Amino acid sequence: MDTSVFRLDGVTKRYGDLVALDKASLEAGANEYISFLGPSGSGKTTLLRVIAGFEAPEAGRVYFNGKDITNLPAHERGIGFVFQNFALFPHLSVLKNVGFGLTHGKSGLSPAEIERRSLEMIEMVGLSGMEGRGVDQISGGQRQRVALARTLTMRPKLVLLDEPLGALDANLRSRMRNELRAIRERLGVTFVHVTGSETEALAMGDCVVVLDRGRIIQTGTPGEVYDAPASPEVAHFLNRFNLFDGTLSGGMFNAVFGSVPAPHAVRSDRDVYAVRYDRMQALPVSAAPKGPAIPARFIASEYLGSSVMNFFEAQDGHVIEMEHHLSLGAPQEFEPRQDYLLTWNPEQAIVFGREASR
Amino acid sequence: MSVPTTIQKRQANTTRWLLLPGIVWMSLFLVLPILMIVYVSFWTQTTFSISSDPTLASWKQFFSSDTYTGALWTTIRIWLIVLACTFIVGYPTALFVGLFIKSKTLSTILLVICVIPFWTSFLIRVLAWRPMLGKEGAINIVLMKLGVIQQPIEVLLFTELSVIIGMTQIYCVFMVGPIAFMLSRIDRNIIEAARDLGAGFGRIFWKIIFPLSLPGVVVGAIFVSVMVLGEFATSGALSGRKVNLLGNIIVTQVGSLKWAMASVVGVVLTIVMGFVIAGFLRIVDLKREL
Repeated sequence: MDTSVFRLDGVTKRYGDLVALDKASLEAGANEYISFLGPSGSGKTTLLRVIAGFEAPEAGRVYFNGKDITNLPAHERGIGFVFQNFALFPHLSVLKNVGFGLTHGKSGLSPAEIERRSLEMIEMVGLSGMEGRGVDQISGGQRQRVALARTLTMRPKLVLLDEPLGALDANLRSRMRNELRAIRERLGVTFVHVTGSETEALAMGDCVVVLDRGRIIQTGTPGEVYDAPASPEVAHFLNRFNLFDGTLSGGMFNAVFGSVPAPHAVRSDRDVYAVRYDRMQALPVSAAPKGPAIPARFIASEYLGSSVMNFFEAQDGHVIEMEHHLSLGAPQEFEPRQDYLLTWNPEQAIVFGREASR
Repeated sequence: MSVPTTIQKRQANTTRWLLLPGIVWMSLFLVLPILMIVYVSFWTQTTFSISSDPTLASWKQFFSSDTYTGALWTTIRIWLIVLACTFIVGYPTALFVGLFIKSKTLSTILLVICVIPFWTSFLIRVLAWRPMLGKEGAINIVLMKLGVIQQPIEVLLFTELSVIIGMTQIYCVFMVGPIAFMLSRIDRNIIEAARDLGAGFGRIFWKIIFPLSLPGVVVGAIFVSVMVLGEFATSGALSGRKVNLLGNIIVTQVGSLKWAMASVVGVVLTIVMGFVIAGFLRIVDLKREL
């Protein structure tokens, strides 16, 4: 028996010569928060639109609640979709926007009942008292809530959110992040959240799906994806790793920093050595490091509140980042344009290679 | 000692200079002539001369004569029919050009095609309907050849019908343009959102698309109304003088130098147009929508 809320089976979508989705397969459970992470053009929005029924796939099937819905039109699917630009009906009030989905005959509700349910949803997203306003008389964050309430009044089992926080400013973004999670938990439905921001994907998802060039390249919990990226591409999107190109042979990784033992390499079609920003250490040039080391010149640092990011430039122009968490003590002071030795514990590095064992 | 000029003062000066040409132009060629027409409508008209002695004679004559009041009702009737026809023909066209065609280039090309008839002169466009609609015109010939009719249809030309056909064709594009413009501004995501909320095409059209295109309908209706209400050439050329609009009355009165009567009709026509435009503007708040 199929227990998943929705399942994708080899979904392929082309726009002319461009392959937007390449045999994407995925299964999502009930009552989950799933985030789709990928750079722009990776096919994450296309995937969402295929699930919603706005685009028809060339190949593959889409299942929802155990039923094949590949050929069902969007308005018969019962899947909620929240648009990036909110797509509110500009000529209707907040209340009418929220109640829109209920006002056609199919819901079988009386006007009073529709109003009651709309008001209930408006209250849940924290917009009580705003129901009479026009949608051009409210702020961006409030519009976002209206868009969400409008979808949720339909009581969908699955809600798709296309970059829902993209149009909001940073402050509002983090507040809406918490609220989206809270609203989802209260309703017990599955949310699929598309985002280009790795912090958002990791912070919000119970499950993170990483896409690249139309393919799903990793699926896992935020912890799994963060600690064990499945490929150099995933490591790159997470924006938390220094990546070094080189060659893996005989359990040794050879790169600019010399030859380092790499016993636990991850299989990949590219040989890449990845070290997390916060695993890097800087030593004076004269020091004799225990592990691998690479000489680099200090360029600048960026204060981030809870940590400091230091930027170094290696001799080949490659920028290496080093993060220092302030909870671990005061940051080191670096002299601009001075050379340092950057080193790390090789056991904490992640190695990708063609001749890897797993 | 130089007088200090503040930025506000300088801007106020600029504003005044920018407004001046418009104000002068409109006063000389709009406000003044209208006042003149109102004034002349109260002049005393005799068969061969006109004097500025004030009298209500022309006004009384207008409202007591069946010819004149009849022309007023004909004008309003033809206006309403043509307005309805241009809307019925124009809206689906605009829907296709503005909403269903996804490529901006293609929809621009289609709009330009709508305007191609305007490359010929107005009178030629009107007169071209004669060989089309006449007793031995193109439509009758084709229908007879196909065996659809045995006798030529005579009501096609020199009737109210031919005036309505001609005006609908000429003014339809003024309805299509503004509606297509408003439709093309509708965010496609809004339509998808409505679909996602379970609305079928009919509901999406009546609840979302039509209300959002209403400002375009109003602008188009104002264009068509103003032009149809002031019409005289189409009715003159296609009705065989059987359909007399207020415009035709003005032309004949001016032709026989009856300036006072022509002014009365002009004032009546202007008042009718004023009410029509004011009525349309009550439907939507154009300042907000455009």
